[in-house]
Amino acid sequence: MLFWQMAWRNVWRYRRRTLLTVLTIALGLAFGILMRGIGDGFHEQMVDNSVRAEIGHLQLHLRGYHRDPSLQKTLPDATLVEQAIRQTPHLLGYSMRVLGDGLASTADNSAGVAVVGIVPEMERTVTTINRAIVAGRYLDQGMNRPILIGERLSQTLDARLDDKLVLMVQAADGSMGGQLFRVAGIFRSGSPELDRGVVYILRTDAQSLYSLDSRLTEAALLLDSSESVEPARRFLAARLSSAPVEILPWYVVAPFLEQFIELDDAFFYIIVVILFFVISVGILNTVMMSVFERVREFGVMMALGTRPRQVVRLVIQEAVVISLAGAVLGSLLGSGSTLLVESTGIDLSRWAAGASAVGITATVIHPTLTFANLAASNLAVVLVVLLVAFYPAIRASRLRPVEALRHV
Amino acid sequence: MALVELSDVSKTYFDHVPVRALSGINLDLERGAFAATVGPSGSGKTTLLNLVGGLDRPDTGSVRIAGLDISTASPAALAEFRLRHLGFVFQSFNLFPVLSVMENLEFVPALKGTPKAERVRRAEALLELAGLADLRRKRPDELSGGQQQRVAVLRAILPEPDLVLADEPTANLDSENATLLLDMMERLNKERAVTFLFSTHDPAVMRRARRLIRLKDGRLADGVEPDGLEP
Repeated sequence: MLFWQMAWRNVWRYRRRTLLTVLTIALGLAFGILMRGIGDGFHEQMVDNSVRAEIGHLQLHLRGYHRDPSLQKTLPDATLVEQAIRQTPHLLGYSMRVLGDGLASTADNSAGVAVVGIVPEMERTVTTINRAIVAGRYLDQGMNRPILIGERLSQTLDARLDDKLVLMVQAADGSMGGQLFRVAGIFRSGSPELDRGVVYILRTDAQSLYSLDSRLTEAALLLDSSESVEPARRFLAARLSSAPVEILPWYVVAPFLEQFIELDDAFFYIIVVILFFVISVGILNTVMMSVFERVREFGVMMALGTRPRQVVRLVIQEAVVISLAGAVLGSLLGSGSTLLVESTGIDLSRWAAGASAVGITATVIHPTLTFANLAASNLAVVLVVLLVAFYPAIRASRLRPVEALRHV
Repeated sequence: MALVELSDVSKTYFDHVPVRALSGINLDLERGAFAATVGPSGSGKTTLLNLVGGLDRPDTGSVRIAGLDISTASPAALAEFRLRHLGFVFQSFNLFPVLSVMENLEFVPALKGTPKAERVRRAEALLELAGLADLRRKRPDELSGGQQQRVAVLRAILPEPDLVLADEPTANLDSENATLLLDMMERLNKERAVTFLFSTHDPAVMRRARRLIRLKDGRLADGVEPDGLEP
């Protein structure tokens, strides 16, 4: 206890220097917390956008479909699969689809497209494609062979609302066939891939087009959050253990998202390492000065019987006091600024066009403050300070009392 | 058996050129002694105290205190030995500036693991004895030089060491404060049998010492007075 008292009072002997060091730590920590919050918010929004635009949190196919998609690989016993999906924990919605590809043609142009056959009411519980319509309307079971096309595809094909469009496909039985559709709506999802190369038709029309009868190729699930993916996946895996299905999380379906997040995290950690390095030099300077200004005092302590490890402890305790003060202040600043920006959001719409070109569709970032972020940032700061303080502490403990006592 | 036994102790420092600080010292100091090493500057007084205090090591010979040869002990073992057996009083007082008088007195007992209540009880009794009870909550920078040095002596004797080493304890004090300090140390020596070994230039200390160890050019000079002489 006496050592803690000494540590506390020693730290405040040089009030201005200590305050500057505490402020340096606090600002570094606050910056780290805010940047992590922005990063987490950005990633969460990216994932949410992608999940809500197309892929869902989980997808189910016949085993092997994801690696090599084919119309021959339809979901086995779709009724059993749908029953299991309905009981999945954290489920918000699901869509049972038919996926295929083909050639979309108008009188003048044609383009290769991915065809998604959906039940409109089911699909709107998973994706937001119904809200992305910029001309015309969303699909309706009452329409006659309606088709939704992306804004870019409409430009490529020079297809407008109510225009006729032929889909040429190779059916599941190998035969070639084509059907006439009418453009019911044009969507702008923000995803270049979707807007350029995906069309939506009614599921029954797709089953007819591909000669699939009532067979389906994919089920997509929307869950209440990304954290629910694993428990939901485990549940489905247990329920469908006897069926030859693959249950794929979003990060397997869209690995580029995961890879982008990992890359972005790597950049963040590089910045944090540089930042902590700069901070640690400042702290090292403070602790070194504090030790070398008190060489004689350490000499007296040692002469009176203080053991070398107790000298190390005292210097480390002083660093702990400084780092905790910095951590508390930094946490308040970092949490406060994150919460402040969380409510207003950071508007990146000025750069949105460029970002969406590479698949980043989040335009207003809402940073998120998590306990894990706060705890990890604080732990990192305290560890860095302790690590930095260790060298001067060892130096102090190795002083020879007879020389330290002569120190002026 | 003598409390302190130095046998053929030599010490040389290297400061560009070798400087022989002590040479062939053989010395015994009995328990309860009130002794002073005296001699001109550079005669080896402080070096002798440093060796006896385990703050430095001899090049040759051995230093035994309370039966233990401290010449070959590790730094940690020496620290432990100083904690258990020695007390120090420095020329420049060297109280810890961030601790109050009471906390300075508690420092060594706290290192030894003495319970708080016991530390406080003993410190208050000593402060009372030394007439410094009113200063218990003051910080060193609020005390005069004389008061600081008296507190330093109390800090040295509170853990009841076998030996107190005092390096020029009166050098920074006026004659009145020096007298007060010497009175206190003499009383502690007589009443509590605390052994004192000083290094000093101060005639007042020499007059009070019951044994003078004269050093000249790092050697014991003739005329070492035996212990037991009353001043």
